[in-house]
Amino acid sequence: MTPVPYCSIFTALTPVLILVIGAFVALTLDIVRLRRSTMTVRNRTLGMVSILALLGAAVALTRQFGLPGPVTLLGQTLVVNHLTSLFNLVIVGLTILTIVISMEGDVGRHVGEYYATLLFGSIGMLLLVSTEELITIFVALELTSICLYILTAFHKGALRSQEAAVKYFMFGAISSAFLLFGLSYVYGITGTTNIREIAAQTTSSTLLSVGLLFTVVGFGFKVAVVPFHLWAPDAYEGAPTPVAAFIATGSKVASFFVLVKLLFIGFAGMQGTAFCYKFSSGWTMLLASTGAASMILGNVVAITQRNIKRLLAYSSIAHAGYVFIGFVAATEFGATSVLFYVIVYALTNLGAFGVLAALANRAGGDDMEHFAGMARRAPFLSVLMLIFFLSLAGIPPLGGFFGKFYLFAAAVQSESTKFGLLWLVILGIAMSAVSLYYYLIVLKHFYIIDGKDKSRIQTPVYLNTALAAVAVAVVLLGLFPEQVLALLKGLVAQL
Amino acid sequence: MNVHDTLFWFFSIAMLLCGVFVIANRNPVASAMALVLMFLFMAGLFVLLEAFFIAAIQVLVYAGAVMVLFLFVIMLLDIKASERRRFAFLGVFGGIVVAGAFVWEMRIILSQPVIPLQSGNTDLSAGLENVVKPLFQHYMLPFEVTALLLLVAMVGVVLLSKKDLK
Repeated sequence: MTPVPYCSIFTALTPVLILVIGAFVALTLDIVRLRRSTMTVRNRTLGMVSILALLGAAVALTRQFGLPGPVTLLGQTLVVNHLTSLFNLVIVGLTILTIVISMEGDVGRHVGEYYATLLFGSIGMLLLVSTEELITIFVALELTSICLYILTAFHKGALRSQEAAVKYFMFGAISSAFLLFGLSYVYGITGTTNIREIAAQTTSSTLLSVGLLFTVVGFGFKVAVVPFHLWAPDAYEGAPTPVAAFIATGSKVASFFVLVKLLFIGFAGMQGTAFCYKFSSGWTMLLASTGAASMILGNVVAITQRNIKRLLAYSSIAHAGYVFIGFVAATEFGATSVLFYVIVYALTNLGAFGVLAALANRAGGDDMEHFAGMARRAPFLSVLMLIFFLSLAGIPPLGGFFGKFYLFAAAVQSESTKFGLLWLVILGIAMSAVSLYYYLIVLKHFYIIDGKDKSRIQTPVYLNTALAAVAVAVVLLGLFPEQVLALLKGLVAQL
Repeated sequence: MNVHDTLFWFFSIAMLLCGVFVIANRNPVASAMALVLMFLFMAGLFVLLEAFFIAAIQVLVYAGAVMVLFLFVIMLLDIKASERRRFAFLGVFGGIVVAGAFVWEMRIILSQPVIPLQSGNTDLSAGLENVVKPLFQHYMLPFEVTALLLLVAMVGVVLLSKKDLK
């Protein structure tokens, strides 16, 4: 019997522990101290507490970069290497921004619970990133999902929020059942829950394929790809805007990261091919078909949307489709491009939701008409919206362009004698062109159409600064993509 | 047929009958009671596999705690016996498709040679120690995270079910 290395477990889990303490402090402080304070005071104080906890976690995470090498604990239920630390930092950053957006918005009457649940959700995501073991993956995914269901329902008075939460919960519960069913097959066939051991003894058997199929379906629900996307538009529209931002960014980053680990390490032997001249069954085939369907449906349906949150939901379905192209490439460069794209996509989307959240309250709603003439009413935030939407559409100097470029490049390079994946790349490029149309319609409302209301909208300085920082990050990712990609490449190679 | 086999068939058939009764009965309390019986017979199957600890847990947790919860919910919501439902063609058709897929899958499973577990302890009979040791050593992290999960679920239930005072 080997002794359990409690000290190194404690070091590896410090960021998570800080967040747990932060969540408890937020919960109790609200009950004990702030019952009689005004809503704004409660919101700001508890938001600051949560941000402090997250900053503490970020400091602990940056210290993990100083570790001599990758740390594997408790039979790989806990893995710390530079890649996981980097992605944990990304998730902590996204959570901080979500909280900054929330501090201004309307989060309902239960402020303490709101921030605590948000922190617990990000804990789930951190654990999801830093594990290579199926049971831990499932438990962490459930922790995240349950927090997101609760957060979706936070507008207790609004019927739409409740409906969205019930829908999200139902779909989420079914997807968890699928996932668990799939994972149980994988365990039953391979006799292990450890991703690396699964890879070591992958034998091609029908049952393992069934397990893989169900696992991918389960994750398909979580990242909202066609045909498992039905919950997304309603959940995004009904949830409070900061929560929608959190669902669209943080949870996607964590889910895609763990999917990369699962498919590229665990099922490395079962990818099959999706080349146009030679299809063979495997997960690339599965991801190629769902990804293609997502790109088509997400982009085409988004055209008809009048509500910007719904539009962003359909666009995020389409973006999940693009990400799957990187998976289908099934090379190391493919994995790197997926991770790069996920970071860019999360930052851009969070920024877009942030601007929406800042303006929607004062504009009177989040339909396109409410934002008519916004460039005169809130010029600064409109410029930021321009940057975010152009990046989502993939316009060259911005991060979104290089994200898509690397995904497509990975797909073309993976098989460069006959260009077997060219069909997927062509579809992706064509659909990007379609997406430009609806992104520009939103920007047209911001910049060209005149609105009735012409009063200026004042937004707090800290919110403007935070959103500007996101915009700068998106621009920088577009200006120095090679460096970031090289960094990620080095980290992926160590996996 | 020896005693072991006889008991296996008895428990299995009784379980299936109870399962059918759960969904066929229109009184929710009777359904819940049939579910208790089903859990008990399932515990019997575990005993036949010499997994005594799992059998005990099965009775304590499922037949005990979970069922009390079910009955409480039925009682609190005051659910009446449901009316006779109309014959839903789509439901029956979907059921047949799913059942067919399941039978097809079972055929594949049964036609394959038994794959021995390559790692881990396959001996269920050693009891408590085999459950506890992995739980508190190998799977300590997911075990602790489950505690957080339950806490969040509790906060969420209180929050969502509480009536806001105006």
